[in-house]
Amino acid sequence: MNMSSLHRRDFLSQMATGLGGIALASLLPDCSLAAPAAAHFPPKAKRVIQLFMNGGASQCDLFDYKPELIARHGKPFDPGGGQRVEASISTPGSLLKSPYTWAKHGQSGRYVSSALPHLSQHVDDMAFLMAMTSPSNVHGPATYLQNTGFLLPGFPTMGAWISHGLGSIAEDVPAFVALPDSRGFPYNGRSAFTSGFLPANHQGTVVKASAPQPITHLSAPASATHVTQQSRTDGLALLRDLNAAHAAERPDDSRLQARIKSYELAAQLQLAAPALLDLSAETKTTTQDYGLHQKETADFGRNCLLARRMVERGVRFVQVWSGHGGGSANWDNHTNIPKELGFIARSMDQPAAALLRDLKQRGLLDDTLLIWTTEFGRMPFAQGGEGRDHNGGTFVSWLAGAGIKPGVAHGQSDPWSWKAAEGITTCYDFHATILHLLGIDHTRLTFRHNGIDRRLTDVHGHVISEILS
Amino acid sequence: MLKWLLLNKETSLVIHRWLDLRAFLCAGVARVTRVVLAIGFVFVSTLPLCAASFEKEIQPLLQKRCYKCHSGAQAKGKLRLDSKSAAMKGGDSGPVIVAGKSSASDLMERVTSDDSDIRMPPTGERLSKAEVAMLRQWIDTGADWPASADLHWSLQPLNKVPIPQRSSERVNPVDAFVYAELSENGLKRSPSADRRTLIRRLTFNLTGLPPTPQALAAFVNDNDPQAYEKLVDRLLASPRYGEHWARHWLDVAHYADTHGNDHDYYRPNAWPYRDYVIRSFNDDKPYARFVAEQVAGDVLFPKDPQATVALGFLAAGPWDHTLMSTIREDTVDHRMGQNLDRDNMVSTVMSTFTSLTVHCARCHDHKFDPIKQREYYALQAVFAGVDRADRPVDLDPKIQARRRELRDTKIAIAAKGFDKLPALDAPQIADKIAALTKDYQQRNEHWQLLEVAKVLSTSATGDTVFAKQADGSWFVSGARPEKDTFVVTTKTRMRGIRALRLEVLPDKRLPHGGPGRYDNGNFHLSQFRATASQTQPEVDKAGAAMKLEFARVTADHSDAGDKVAGTLDENPQTYWSINPLYNKPHDAVFELKSPVGFAGGTTLTVQLEFAGKSGHQIGRFRLWSSTDAESTVPKSSSKIAPAIAAILSVPVEQQTPDQQRELALFVLNASIDEELASLPDQQFVYAATSNFAASGSFKPAAKPRPIHLLDRGDINKPGERVSPGTTACIPGLSGSLEIANLDDESIRRAALARWLIDERNVLTWRSIVNRVWHYHFGRGLCNTPNDFGKMGDKPSHSELLDWLAVWFRDDANGSLKTLHRLIVSSETYRQSSRRNTTDPVPLADSNNRLLWRMNRTRLSGEMVRDAALQMSGRMDLKMGGPSVVQFKHKGVAATFMPADGSPAFLDYENFDPDAPENSRRAVYRFVFRTVPDPLMEALDCPDGGATTPVRTTSSTALQALALLNNAFLIRQCEHIAGRLAHESEQPKDRAATAFRLMLQRSPTARESEAFAVYIQNHGLANACHVLLNSNEFLYID
Repeated sequence: MNMSSLHRRDFLSQMATGLGGIALASLLPDCSLAAPAAAHFPPKAKRVIQLFMNGGASQCDLFDYKPELIARHGKPFDPGGGQRVEASISTPGSLLKSPYTWAKHGQSGRYVSSALPHLSQHVDDMAFLMAMTSPSNVHGPATYLQNTGFLLPGFPTMGAWISHGLGSIAEDVPAFVALPDSRGFPYNGRSAFTSGFLPANHQGTVVKASAPQPITHLSAPASATHVTQQSRTDGLALLRDLNAAHAAERPDDSRLQARIKSYELAAQLQLAAPALLDLSAETKTTTQDYGLHQKETADFGRNCLLARRMVERGVRFVQVWSGHGGGSANWDNHTNIPKELGFIARSMDQPAAALLRDLKQRGLLDDTLLIWTTEFGRMPFAQGGEGRDHNGGTFVSWLAGAGIKPGVAHGQSDPWSWKAAEGITTCYDFHATILHLLGIDHTRLTFRHNGIDRRLTDVHGHVISEILS
Repeated sequence: MLKWLLLNKETSLVIHRWLDLRAFLCAGVARVTRVVLAIGFVFVSTLPLCAASFEKEIQPLLQKRCYKCHSGAQAKGKLRLDSKSAAMKGGDSGPVIVAGKSSASDLMERVTSDDSDIRMPPTGERLSKAEVAMLRQWIDTGADWPASADLHWSLQPLNKVPIPQRSSERVNPVDAFVYAELSENGLKRSPSADRRTLIRRLTFNLTGLPPTPQALAAFVNDNDPQAYEKLVDRLLASPRYGEHWARHWLDVAHYADTHGNDHDYYRPNAWPYRDYVIRSFNDDKPYARFVAEQVAGDVLFPKDPQATVALGFLAAGPWDHTLMSTIREDTVDHRMGQNLDRDNMVSTVMSTFTSLTVHCARCHDHKFDPIKQREYYALQAVFAGVDRADRPVDLDPKIQARRRELRDTKIAIAAKGFDKLPALDAPQIADKIAALTKDYQQRNEHWQLLEVAKVLSTSATGDTVFAKQADGSWFVSGARPEKDTFVVTTKTRMRGIRALRLEVLPDKRLPHGGPGRYDNGNFHLSQFRATASQTQPEVDKAGAAMKLEFARVTADHSDAGDKVAGTLDENPQTYWSINPLYNKPHDAVFELKSPVGFAGGTTLTVQLEFAGKSGHQIGRFRLWSSTDAESTVPKSSSKIAPAIAAILSVPVEQQTPDQQRELALFVLNASIDEELASLPDQQFVYAATSNFAASGSFKPAAKPRPIHLLDRGDINKPGERVSPGTTACIPGLSGSLEIANLDDESIRRAALARWLIDERNVLTWRSIVNRVWHYHFGRGLCNTPNDFGKMGDKPSHSELLDWLAVWFRDDANGSLKTLHRLIVSSETYRQSSRRNTTDPVPLADSNNRLLWRMNRTRLSGEMVRDAALQMSGRMDLKMGGPSVVQFKHKGVAATFMPADGSPAFLDYENFDPDAPENSRRAVYRFVFRTVPDPLMEALDCPDGGATTPVRTTSSTALQALALLNNAFLIRQCEHIAGRLAHESEQPKDRAATAFRLMLQRSPTARESEAFAVYIQNHGLANACHVLLNSNEFLYID
């Protein structure tokens, strides 16, 4: 497909504003700063919001309806064929049907459990990946894998790669923002949003929406009484002069110019951030849609609403986390599905549905990709009485919005929701598809590190054309 | 290209025959297309038939028999056979290979001649007939030499390159090489930097700190022609040097104070290794020894405790606690975790010391460098016996020796090696046996097993099953409920009962051998209650029950956080648990406030309540009673092995000599244990070790684990078993390691250490001089210090690199300080970083690869932090010790680790900037892998997730915000201002002192004016903060 002039203009303006544009220029052999001939291909999506369910959301209690599992409830699990059944931290128990009821929804007739009464109303907007797999059943490596394509620490996350490839849309906001759960960071801490070996400007800017200082270092601490608005303004002017004189004597060092520029960007971010984070302009209908008036949904709802405000203002990639890395209040429901999963699902369901609806109403969904995912699924058999252990064998993600074929499902698990059976999808396929929608060929977005041209998709990955519109 | 497919191994015999056939074919047939031979080879070729054999046959032959003399810059007779162009050009006596004509090729004459003046190789065995035939055939068919086959620069032999001559001037060798390269490219070096620039550059570079105004003044005014050299010596002698250069090394080792990954637990004993590195740099430890210690110091230098601390290197990287300890041992995940853990050790060792990317060969042979997948797994096998864990070290060598002696005796006892033991009939031993016998007899009277009438479970599910065992204990089975309480009804005739004892026993039917029922063998006993009533002999029913009150409870062992006292406080959240001492008996003794016991018998009902975490019940137990008021925890009764107890129950006069010997060994062992316990505590260091207490599924390997080649790196596809070894890619250095005893893992590491420091290991020596160069110039001669492979950078000055490597190895004897001195004394290092504006831009080398000027470098995060502290006068120069925590968790600095280890919002910003912890040098700060300090992160400090041979230097908006708003930096500026305010009063004078302190220069008239106004309006602290944010402060010219 040829690139229309409109796309080319878009592309040029992105290049001019984002530092990442330089990276893209260098990774496209036929594209130089002077004459960008073509991107990999025209993008369908300009920006991405990813909702990440930290802890391993239970596919067999949410989206993966299995009559066989209900029929065999309470019986020992024998998949047949001499297959070994193992669990990460427990002894496999009997088959456990979901405590939730199942019903078909929408025109597409997707089954969703009663744990998600709000999201189930939007299945016709979603494309489901019903047979995702992870080779790791352990939070640390599996979370790295879903975010970076590698099991080990040190690699850049998807948001960082996208920032590296495409840069920011607007100059006064970062390209990649991470909104952790208000209770704490997810598994792997801040490395869940790291830029790894990519330059630091690609790392996720952490916004702790409910903290007194949502963005670290955004303003001087209250204890610094000698710092005033005026001292800052005058000080920055003084600094500009000092740096200008210094740079004038060292005219060939672009790093000095970049640092001077970084203070301008910082000032813009300082101006933009309060407006970005201020929800007072939102109507009561909107804030109630997102559940800001209810204790259970307020935190995740606020982050979802902020995510919408951020993509509106040009953030390229926003990652919103549901659940933190602690022993509870996340999707790692080892002990009691109705209690633990019920709690976290209620906190996520209404805000996520509101976000989807809101993006659609505002026309943002046309060029925004909304993703719901997790690091692995859970076992169809019991751990202890009513819990479930980790299951990398199969889990579910869904996508909606830009470039996505709505109301479809790709792949399916076996009769028990134990292992992926058809249309098996790896994190590499998942990442390749997202990059594809952003106009990037995943095999060509590379960075040389320690002797290897690294990719988000390692040496794997196929675009899942079945879910593309 | 010719290709053949070997159908099976047996065909190898046929190959030799086929070689002759091929010679025949090559002689006449230049091109063969699709010839299918019935014997099992398939030819698919459109190119000269024999071309493909160069890399597989000819090059290995040249490498084996010729490269020793005929490779590298110092090749004999100037004949190099290590690259195509050099080989075809020939040497002093002209070309030696005439393509297509072996009869005219001098090479053939040399390898076939019997004349000792001509023959090659001059000594050793002649080339075999087959080898000669192969060479001849290769030349006759065109001597094809693919460009890709040239021996890569980093693997070429290291020879002493002559220093380029330049008139009669005495020149630093570094300059000689750099100037030669510059003049060849028509470039000129830049003039020397001024003294102010020099002292700032040198002081930051060697110590990580700015020069003080006094040091600056002294140097600028020093008329001694040796002023610079004196400065270099002073800085290299400063302990600040080791602190700064250790940080570079820790980047590569990817050291941190937490494990990393999902829960990112605290690693409290990482810091001794950090101190070891600092000490090694300050002591100028010879590099070979430094390398060897970090791979196998425990084996190679057993008498030096610090050499064991050095093993912290192997353990410095991240470790996945969940994968290695929580996840079940029998899962694929756990085995994959072990594999990746070894991968980290292998890649760290090989990247750090040899700059090789062997880890690229985990799934297949290295795509670019001559490293086989098999060699990669051979390297994994070197580390197959070790894990990362806390390793005890006696920092006092005398104590270390004594402890070792005692341990050896214990080993001899276990092995019954009587020749290594003291006389067993010595009086001290006899006395001890007598005491033991007496103690046993008393104890036997002391405790009486309670006769259990029935045991009930209060669990609602009713699944718990109790079974009486032969030793009077009860085994618990059935579906495990979440919570449970055991109600044990016992009968005794004992009067005046003063204590009850609960004994928990291991059982192989329990998870991890018990004694608990939980998955890891643990239990949480949240409450212990008892009632007593008079037993009614006639009818089987008890009288009114009386609740028993306990004075205290003691246990032989409780988990660190869970104290046994919690069993008496009626709080379900406090309990007795025995982590990590699973699979062992334990006991708790409950002392009664007042004695109990009825005439005619007592019914004692004991309640064991498990209201703590789910499923944490006891799996096997016994109950005892005692009348002894002095009862305390029996020190050793439960620790006496049943076999010893059996002997003690035999009257002394009836004991056999064998039995008496057993007793002697037992008391000897016990006395050693006592002495061991009385030795001063050992320091732990988190290091590679094969000996540590098991915890969950994390267990030491009794013997090195078997390592298999994994097809595509897949743990589910193990291939052949691989023995320990290393890569054979270095000419003249074998990749096989001599290992006398495969069961001893330490021998494997020692062998690898010797291979690493072998003087023939050209990579080791090139690697370190390049690394040091990188930290002096901001860029290595080879700009990929961890990758000397084909995908890495090509060195800008390969002859200089080689000269430095040889000189460092042979002349400087591996002294890093000597190497620093050589480099920083060079004119190249001392030249200005500014481009002479009157010269035309050297377009050919605009990025200064050839070093026509000095590189400008940015301060690291640590340097910014340390400089701020030094300038504010608040730096605490205390060295070493546990890492200083510079953040709060949940509002409190002391409880910095979340209880469940999960990453939390650690609060760095509201940590008191004036807290003493904040005054230490940055190298001592607590590095929290997954929640790094935002200031340090903004300034590109690595988080320890991966090895960092080169730091990036970014300029981001977040970095600008950090420098503008970080509370610590702002506070230091206030302190600087407070300090300077004493020195002067007038705003202009204050501006001048601030400039001199922070930028090492006086302000210009304009600057003086502008800053004076600013100081007048906003104070000196704000002015200092402006200077701290300036490019001039952050960059070193």
